Amino acid sequence: MTSLEAARDLLREFPVADGHNDLPWALREQVRYDLDARDVAADQSAHLHTDIPRLREGGVGAQYWSVYVRTDSPAPVAATLEQIDCVRQLLARYPEHLRPALTAADMEAARREGRIASLMGAEGGHSIANSLGTLRGLYGLGVRYLTLTHNDNVDWADSATDEPRAGGLTAFGREVVREMNRLGMLVDLSHVAATTMRDALDTSTAPVIFSHSSARAVCDHPRNIPDDVLERLPANGGIAMVTFVPKFVLQAAVDWTAAADENMRAHGFHHLDTTAEAMKVHRAFEERHPRPVATVSTVADHLDHMREAAGVDHLGIGGDYDGTAFTPDGLNDVSGYPNLVAELLDRGWSKADLTKVTWKNAVRVLDAAEDVARGLQATRPPSNATIESLDSPEG
Amino acid sequence: MADLQHDLSRTAAADGFDDLAEPYPDEGVITAESYEPVSDPDDAPLTRAHAILAAHPVADGCNALPWALRRLSYYDLELGESTVDTDVPRLRGGHVGALFWSLQLPEGLDGDRAVGATLEQLDRAKTVARTCDEGLRLTATAGQVADARNCGRVAVLLGPAGAPALGDSLGILRQLHLLGLRALTLTGVSWASEAGLTRFGEEVVREMNRLGVIADLSGASAQTLRRALSLSRAPVLCGRSAARAIRPHPVNLSDDLLAELGAAKGLCLVPLSAEQTGPTVRDVADHLDHIRAVAGAECVGLSGTYDSGSAHPQELQDTSCYPRLIAELLRRGWEESDVALLTWGNVQRLLRSADFTARAAQQRREPSTATISELDG
Repeated sequence: MTSLEAARDLLREFPVADGHNDLPWALREQVRYDLDARDVAADQSAHLHTDIPRLREGGVGAQYWSVYVRTDSPAPVAATLEQIDCVRQLLARYPEHLRPALTAADMEAARREGRIASLMGAEGGHSIANSLGTLRGLYGLGVRYLTLTHNDNVDWADSATDEPRAGGLTAFGREVVREMNRLGMLVDLSHVAATTMRDALDTSTAPVIFSHSSARAVCDHPRNIPDDVLERLPANGGIAMVTFVPKFVLQAAVDWTAAADENMRAHGFHHLDTTAEAMKVHRAFEERHPRPVATVSTVADHLDHMREAAGVDHLGIGGDYDGTAFTPDGLNDVSGYPNLVAELLDRGWSKADLTKVTWKNAVRVLDAAEDVARGLQATRPPSNATIESLDSPEG
Repeated sequence: MADLQHDLSRTAAADGFDDLAEPYPDEGVITAESYEPVSDPDDAPLTRAHAILAAHPVADGCNALPWALRRLSYYDLELGESTVDTDVPRLRGGHVGALFWSLQLPEGLDGDRAVGATLEQLDRAKTVARTCDEGLRLTATAGQVADARNCGRVAVLLGPAGAPALGDSLGILRQLHLLGLRALTLTGVSWASEAGLTRFGEEVVREMNRLGVIADLSGASAQTLRRALSLSRAPVLCGRSAARAIRPHPVNLSDDLLAELGAAKGLCLVPLSAEQTGPTVRDVADHLDHIRAVAGAECVGLSGTYDSGSAHPQELQDTSCYPRLIAELLRRGWEESDVALLTWGNVQRLLRSADFTARAAQQRREPSTATISELDG
C-alpha cells in the first residue's frame, strides 16, 4: 500500500476537521450568494478551491465555514449575518452532504453519518461591534469561534498585522474572552498579535484555537505562532491548526510578497489593488521575479516543528481555502489533504498521532469549551459590561 | 427556547402537502356561536371581568420591559419591581397571558448600528425572560403560547422590531427570525415610506409571510398599510393604533383604514396610552367600542404599551389594571364572547394564521435571495 492509499484509509475513519474555509466570502464576492451560479455539488474548480466532490475526495469530515467580513465594511454586523445566512442556505441545499453542527457531539454524529459537520467561525472582533450582546447573538445563530481580530486592530485587541495599540487585550478584550468562555465559543488567536495571544491565554479558562496559523520559528511571519505561545498550548489544552498559505509558510514567498508589495507602492498603487493597471504592474514584476512555490513538504516542516513545540495533542489543520489567492503544490484545493497526511506518514508520524491531527484534537477542544461553559453558566450571568465602562480612561 | 437556538437544521419538508394536513388544535379559537360563558351575568362587572380574564387572559401587543430594565443592575420580577410597570405579581393580577416585547430602537439608529442594537435587544429580552423563568416563558408559535399558558407562565413573544433592524437584507431578516423575532414594524426605511412599499418592500413582506414574522403597520403610511393588506397572505397587525375619528393622532387609524383592516381580518391593538386614546378608562373604552363597530369584534385587541415611556390613562397605570378596563366594557354591554376575542382570541388567531401561512409558504417558496439594489435600483 502506498502512503497515499494509507492516508486515504486513515481519513475514511478520522477525516479532516478543518479550521478555516472562506467559501461563503467567495460566494458573496463572486455571485452575491447566487447558489445556482455556483452549485458546489458539482465541480467548481474553475472558480473555487472548494466544492463538495473535492471535499469528499480530500477526506474532509468537518469544516468551520468562515463568516468573515472585511474590516473596512461599512456594516460589519449586517454583513456577518448575511454570511451566516449563506452558510444556512448551503446547509439547507445540500443536506445529504453537509450536516449542521453546533457541538462536539454533532461533529461525531456527522462522522458516523458520513456527512461533513458544518460549523461556523467569525473572523475578527469587528463582527461584534464592541458589544457582548451582539457576541451572544452570533453564538445563538451558531457561530462557534471568534477570531479576536482580522488584519486590523479592534478597539480591544491588537492584530498581528497592525501597529500595536492596546498592547494585547484591553480590559474589555479580556471580558470578551471571559464571555466567550461562558458561552462555549472558542477563542481563535489566528491573526492576533503575539501580545494578544499571551493575554488571551492568561485570561481564557477554556482551550483556545488557532484556526489557521503556522510556526514562526519555521517561517518568520507575524501571522504565525511564536514558540513561547505554542509551548503554552499543552497547559491550555488548545490547538494550533496549521495553515497552507504560501506567503505565511515559505520564507522565500514571504520575501517575494514583501518585494512585490514594495514594487506596487513604488508605482503608486496600494499593495492589495486589483485594478487592471495595478495588475499590469504586478504581472510585470512576476515575470521578472518568478513566484516561489510552497509544497506539501513546506507545510509538513511546520507540523514537524509544531509537534516539537506544542505536542501532537495540540495540532490541527486550517487550510484557508478560498481565502488565499495561492496554494502550495499538492495542496492546491480541498482535495489535497491526503497528500499532507501521506507526507507525514512518510516522515514517520504514527497513524494514531495523525488521527489526532486530522480529527480528534479538534473535537476535543470544542467538547472542552462546552464543559467550561456549562460550569461558568452555573455561576455567572451574561456579562453586561460595555467597552465604555471598562476601557474609558476614567473607568 | 432551546429550539430557537438550535434549529440550524430546520428545512421545509420536501414531500408534498402531508405536512399541511397536520391538525391545528382548536384550543384558543373563539367564535361567538361556540362560546360558553364563564361568568355570572348577575355578578358585579369587576367580578365578571376577573372571571372572564381567568379563562381568556390578555395577550398584550406591546410591552417594553427589557428596555426599561436596561439600566438596572439588579431587579427581581418574580417578587415585584416597583421601578417598572411590569412584573410577575402585577401580570398575574391583571390576568396577562401573553406579551409582545417591543424591540423598537432609539430614534436615529440606522445601518449597522440598527442591526447590532436589535441583536442586543433580542439578547436583553432573552436574558430578562431567563432570569424570570418561573413567571415568563419565551415562545415563538401559537402552540408554544398555549403551552406556556397551560404551564401557568406568561408567554413572551419577541417583537415588533423596527424595520431598520433588517439592514435592508432578507438574509438578516432570516437570522433575526431564527433568534426569535416574531413581528416587524414596516416604517422608517426607504422601502416602506410615505410612498408605500417598494418592490423590495413587497419582497420583505413575502419573506416575512414565509417565515411567520407578523407585519406591524402602526405608524406606517396609508399606502404602505393598503399595499401590505393586499399583499400579505397572513393577517397583519396595527400594534398600537386607536381610532382617529375619536382622537386625532398620527398613529391612530381612520375609519376607512379600520374598515379595510377589518375586511382583511387584520388586527388593531388599542394602546393604553393617554396621548393616543385620552386620559380615562372611558376614553379607551370609547375607542374599543368604535373600532369594534367599524372593523369588527374579530379585529380589535389590546396593547398595554407599559414601560415604553407612554403616559397611561388614569386607573390603567400598570399591567395589573386590565380588569378595570374589561369591567367598563361589560358595563357597556359587551358580550362575553367579544371580550374573550378582544383579550385573547384575536391574537391567538393571528399567531395561528401566521404559523399556518409560513408552513404553507415554505412548501412552495425558497428563501428569497433578492437584494435591495436589484429590486429598487
